[in-house]
Order: sequence, then structure tokens, then C-alpha cells
Amino acid sequence: MAVDHLFAAGVNFGSLPAQVVNGILIGSLYALIALGYTMVYGVLRLINFAHGEVYMLGAYTALFVSWLIYGNQVAPVHTFWWALPTMLLASMTVSALVGVILERFAYRPLRNEPRIASLITAIGLSLLLQFGGQLFLPVAPPPNINAKVNPYSDSMTFYLKPPAKPLADKASSLEAEATATEKAYNEALSGVPSGEEPGPTVTALRNNYFEARNAYEEAKGAAANSGVSVTIPKGQLIMFVVTMFLMAILRHLVMFTKQGRAMRAVSHDFDSASLMGINVNSTVTFTFILGSALAGAGAMMSATFISGVKIDTFYGLLPGVKAFVAAVLGGIGNIPGAVLGGLLMGVAESLVIWVGWGDYKDAVAFLILIGVLMFRPGGLLGSAKVEKV
Amino acid sequence: MNYKYSMFWTAALGGAMALSMVGCKSDAEKAATSDNSSTSTNASSSGSGGKRPTPTGKGNSQSGDTIKLGVVASVTGDLKPWGDDSYYGAKLAIDEFNTAGGLNGKKIELLMEDSASKPEAAKTAGEKLMGEGVLGVLGEVSSGNTEQIARPAFDKGIPVIAIGATKTTLTDIGANVWRVCYTDDFQGPVMARFAYEDQGIRKAAIITDKKQPYSQGLSESFKQYFLKLGGEIVSEVSYQTGDTQFQAQLTELKSTNPQGIFMSGYFPEVGPLAAQARAAGITAKFFGGDGWDSSAILQSGGDAIIGSYFCNHYNNKEARPEVKMFLDKFKAKYGKEPSTTMAALGYDAALVAIDALKRCKTLDSASLIQEIENVDKLQGVSGEITLKGHNGNPPKRALVVEIRPASEGFQVFKKAYDYFESK
Repeated sequence: MAVDHLFAAGVNFGSLPAQVVNGILIGSLYALIALGYTMVYGVLRLINFAHGEVYMLGAYTALFVSWLIYGNQVAPVHTFWWALPTMLLASMTVSALVGVILERFAYRPLRNEPRIASLITAIGLSLLLQFGGQLFLPVAPPPNINAKVNPYSDSMTFYLKPPAKPLADKASSLEAEATATEKAYNEALSGVPSGEEPGPTVTALRNNYFEARNAYEEAKGAAANSGVSVTIPKGQLIMFVVTMFLMAILRHLVMFTKQGRAMRAVSHDFDSASLMGINVNSTVTFTFILGSALAGAGAMMSATFISGVKIDTFYGLLPGVKAFVAAVLGGIGNIPGAVLGGLLMGVAESLVIWVGWGDYKDAVAFLILIGVLMFRPGGLLGSAKVEKV
Repeated sequence: MNYKYSMFWTAALGGAMALSMVGCKSDAEKAATSDNSSTSTNASSSGSGGKRPTPTGKGNSQSGDTIKLGVVASVTGDLKPWGDDSYYGAKLAIDEFNTAGGLNGKKIELLMEDSASKPEAAKTAGEKLMGEGVLGVLGEVSSGNTEQIARPAFDKGIPVIAIGATKTTLTDIGANVWRVCYTDDFQGPVMARFAYEDQGIRKAAIITDKKQPYSQGLSESFKQYFLKLGGEIVSEVSYQTGDTQFQAQLTELKSTNPQGIFMSGYFPEVGPLAAQARAAGITAKFFGGDGWDSSAILQSGGDAIIGSYFCNHYNNKEARPEVKMFLDKFKAKYGKEPSTTMAALGYDAALVAIDALKRCKTLDSASLIQEIENVDKLQGVSGEITLKGHNGNPPKRALVVEIRPASEGFQVFKKAYDYFESK
């Protein structure tokens, strides 16, 4: 195919659907965090750089709650159905609380000062939490949430196009031989006293087994590649569903409640809103609660379902930066824009790896951002308002 | 768009960049050092040929009652489990030597500085020790940190004995740098041989951490030897330290059907990587380097990492008498067995320094440099160490261990490889 020559490694079109799904799954997490940036920007015109740290504290909360439920470091024998929801609620609550505290004590006193003062405060808070957090949070050895806390560690495979029949038949016919030779080899091996080198018969059996296994794996792979499939880890699927659910709730809150209408009014015109009798302070607090709780939910889910990842005080740094880019990409201040930007970032990242440029995946995210801002300075869904000086 | 508006974006984006730089540690620094070393790759060799530049500085000398040695250890930060052990090991050897009477009545004083697991802090720590007049410096456990100690040490003319730094080109910095461990040029081939000969792997994939010179070097040496053996590398993908989601890479890798996967990165990423690979339906065996050597990998990898193999320097359950003696002494002093191999290597690094000091005619860095180069067939805990004529890279043996659950002792010895020429 002519397209193949455009790319160094040659792309594999069979994995394109899987990569798009991967991208959407990752992107939904970015979107969830991006919502916090975009809502705070909407009402305060402030980039809350400490948002990534709110996310980090949410992950720590999930960790502590998992320790409370199952004990530190010990793999649970059986999981409680209520453990994951409890961790989720705890993370959301603590994150929301942290967001409110940050707003009340760091941002509110500076609200009438030049905007740059709040911005620098936000960066300062971010660094304070990253480095100061090391004093009282467990960082070394870096803890992680036990994989056993997540009972959904397997995955599901969907076939968009089933594997070719003859190849699949060939694979299943080879499976029996692979199993038989493995059994023969293991039996022979168990007869060898420990510490001794196996004799030539065992080695021959071993080589038989390797040959049969490699042939089987080869056939199995060929069969799989002749179809088009998408494999989704169950945990990631749950994460996606919960994310969509939270976004639906957010939409309801913002569009159909009194508090949400106040939020939109403040975002439209801060001063006029306060003249119209809207309690601006409580609206801002509400915004921080929403944004931070979403970040907390994202943190709990990524720390639990993407298991084994170490939690330290920089846990929120990279997701935070990426979500910020996503928010800007979609048009900061615009809620659907943040979701769109997040999904777009996730898909772009996956596709960059799909093309074979994985080494530059973070650079590409910023390139997309620069490209979009050049043509649409307000972001994809944002509007570039001219500010009167 | 007016001026104020665009200024605001500039500030905001600048802020984002600044924040992202914080996490990147010192990319520029790493890039600079790896550039340096790649130009001198030709001079590298483990065994013969090539001549390393001789340090020009005068070094330190000592006349008091104590002999000062320094050790830089990552006792805080990501490498803490290794850093702690490296310091404990070195301290054990020095204390033992002092209790036995020291050097003609003179005791060795071991000064420790923390590198916080970061190259820039390692540089500061190393320079501080050298400023305090140490004759030589022991450490570090990682190549990136050791490079930052070795460069100023070269200028000052002070010897450095690296504990766990395996990056092959490290010792090209100068004739003042040695190590007590094997190099990546050796552990890559060892794992390639084990995968090819012992596990019957013919098609392998490689996953590299692009941010770590260690991982890049190791992947390359594995690849070269695996190809030399007749195997095929079907896929090479990469990630960066700190990444948490690898689905996209694993999807690409899976479509090439590898029978084995070599993951050359460090354990914090390898654990999740292995777990996500299994979740993605990849059944291939996993292989890795000594960057896996931490029981934390059991936590982060869960069931997925069990049954994988990696290359290590030494194993607590080896039958050699040196190992048993070392473990007994370690347990007597610290009340537990060392959790990583760095304790044994730290001990060996201190043994090398002591062995050289014993032969020094004058107590100064220059004569210590000369005598470390003369270390010959020293029986260390991790095996025999010969530095003489090997450009700082002793021909060491390597072990392949299998990861088992903690109840079965985490690392189970599989096979030992004596030094072989891998070029």
C-alpha cells in the first residue's frame, strides 16, 4: 500500500480500531481532569496550576482508604463490593475539600489583585504540595494500591472482523501438541534432582516443547492478526463508564440547577453577576468543589485500575499538564471543549504510537496545541473574546 | 487578539512548561552526558585495548590519624532501597576493617552524602566529599548519578569506585573510575543467551525506557546478541520514566507475536507494564536487567510479573562461602538480610578500596588510583574482582533469577553465566 511508505516502520491498519479505543479510554481521564481547569478558568479567569496536586492528593486518599479496608501491603483474600465505591467517595471528598481550602486561603485573598499574582500563587502552591508533601506523605519506597484491590484485572476482546477460519483451525490443531510436549518436558524435568544438569533426553524433550510452543504461538498470532479485534481491560472500561456518568451529572448540575445557572452567570460576567444578587463566593466555592471532586474521582480510578503505578507527590504532574493542554485545546472555559480536548489528546497520543513515533508522543501533544492555537486562538470550541484594556 | 490576551497565554504556557520541567529532572544534563559518552564508545571495551585518559588533578592527601573515604548513596528518593543497601554494605566492610585494627593503627572514616537519587544532587554530594578531603569516593548505584560524581573527580584526580553503575561507557570518563559490577554490554547478552538457549525464544520484542541511558544501552546490547544468536527482534517500542499507561505500545507489540519480551527499564515502570501486558492478552515471557532488582516489583507487577526472569549480580542463596559469611555479618549488624544486591556490591566496593589502601605507599589519591588499578583476583561477595588491565570494568559473572512470590523468596536462582566475550 502506498500509505505505508509514508511511515518509517509501516503502519498496521489492523490495530487502528484498538488504538482509537485506547486513545478514548486514556482521553476520558484527561477530560475528567481538564474539566477542573476549565471550570475554574471559566468563573475566575485563573489557571489553577495546583489542580494536578489536588489529583495527587486524591490518589493518596484512595491509597490510605485501601489500606484502611484491606490493611497495608497485604493482598486481600476476597474483595468487598463496597470497597471501590468507598475509595471513590473518599477521594472525591478529600479532593473537593483540598480544592475549597486552596480557593479560600490562597486564591480568594488575591482575587482583586492583578491576575498574575494568582497565577504565580497557583504555581507556588503546586510546588509547595509536590515538595512539601514529601514531608508527611509516604514516598519512599513509593507505595501503590495493591493490584488485588481491583477485582477487574482481566480484559475483554471484541472482534470487529473474526479471524480467518483456516488460520484459526490451524492454531487450534497445533495447541494440542504444544500442551502435550510441555507436559512431557515438565514430567521429565521433575525427575531430575535439583541442582543437577538435565540429561540429553530431557534437553531433547525441551527442544521439542519449544518448537511446538513457538509454532503454536506463531499460528495463534497469525490467526489473531487476520481478524480485527479490540481488547479492553475491564478496569479501564469501568473507568470510562464512571467518567461518562460523572460528566452527565456535571452537565445536569451546570445546566439545570440554580447553582449551575449562577455558575454560568458568574462565568459570563463576574461583576454583573454579583450586582444581580448572586453569591459569588459560594458560586466560586461550588465550582472548586465540582472540579476538584472530578479530579479526585479520576485519581482514585487511575490509581486503582491502572494498578501497580507508584504514587508519589509528583503523581499529578504529568496528567495535570496534559489535562491543562486538553482544556486549552478544547477552548478553556468551555466545558464540552474540555471533554473534546481530552479525548482528542488521548486519541492523538495513541495514534502517534500507532504510527511508530512513540518517542515523540508528548511533543506531538504540544505540537497539536500550537497548531490549533495558531488558527483558533480560543481553542476548538472556545471563542476568542477581545478583552478591553 | 490584543496584547494583554496573548501575554496572558504566554505566561500560562510558560508556567505549564516550567512545571513539566520540574518532573523531567535534568534531561539536558543527561543528554549532554550521553552525547559525550557516545563519542567515546570506540574507546570502551571490557578487557583489552583502548586507553583511558589519565586524571590531571593532584587529588587529596592525608596525614592525620584517620583515613577519610567518601560514599555517595541514594538514601532518599526513588532508589532508596538500593541506596540504603549500598551504604550498609560499604559501612559493614569499613567497620569490620577498623575493628580488625585498621591500617597500621589508622582507622578509615567513611563519610556519607545523600544524592537523593538525582544526578544533580549526586554531583553536589560528590564535590562536597572531595572538598572535605576524602582520598576516594565509593558509589553510586545508578549510572546517571555516578557519571556526575566521576567527572568532577576526574578533574580533581580522585578515584571513584562505582557500586552498581552498569552503563558500559561510564568508565571511559577516565582512569580514575572503576566499578565492581558487570556492564550492560554483558548483562544484555546474558539475558539474550538465556532467552534463546534456555527458554527457546526465537522472536523477541524489546521495550525501552527512552529517558534512561541505562535502559537504552541495555536494550541495544540485548538486541545485538540476540540477533547474533540467530533470533529475530519483531518489535521495539518505548516509553518514558513516569509513564503509567502503556496500552498503545502493547497493542502494537502484541500484533507482532513475540515469544519473549525484554524490558530494560527500572522496576517502577516494569511492574505496571507487565500487568498491563497480561491484561492486554500478551502471553510472552518477560525478561529484564538488574533494574528489576527490588521486591517492590512484586507489589507493582502483581501476578503478572511472577515467573519472569532477570539478570542479577549475586543472590543471597548462593552456596559460595563468601556469601554466607557476608550474610551472617550483615544480619548481625543490621538485624535483617539485605533486600537488594547493592549491599553485596557496596561491600565489595569498600573491599576494593581497602585492598588498594593496604598497598598504598603514601596516603594520597594518586597512589590510591595506582593501587586500585592493581587489584587482582580479589574475592568479593559478588564474585572475583580483577581490575588490572580491564579499563575499569572487571570481568564479572552474572546470574539469571526467576521472580517468585515473596513467600518463595522473591528471587530464585536459575542459572549462572561466567564472563564471556560478547562482542
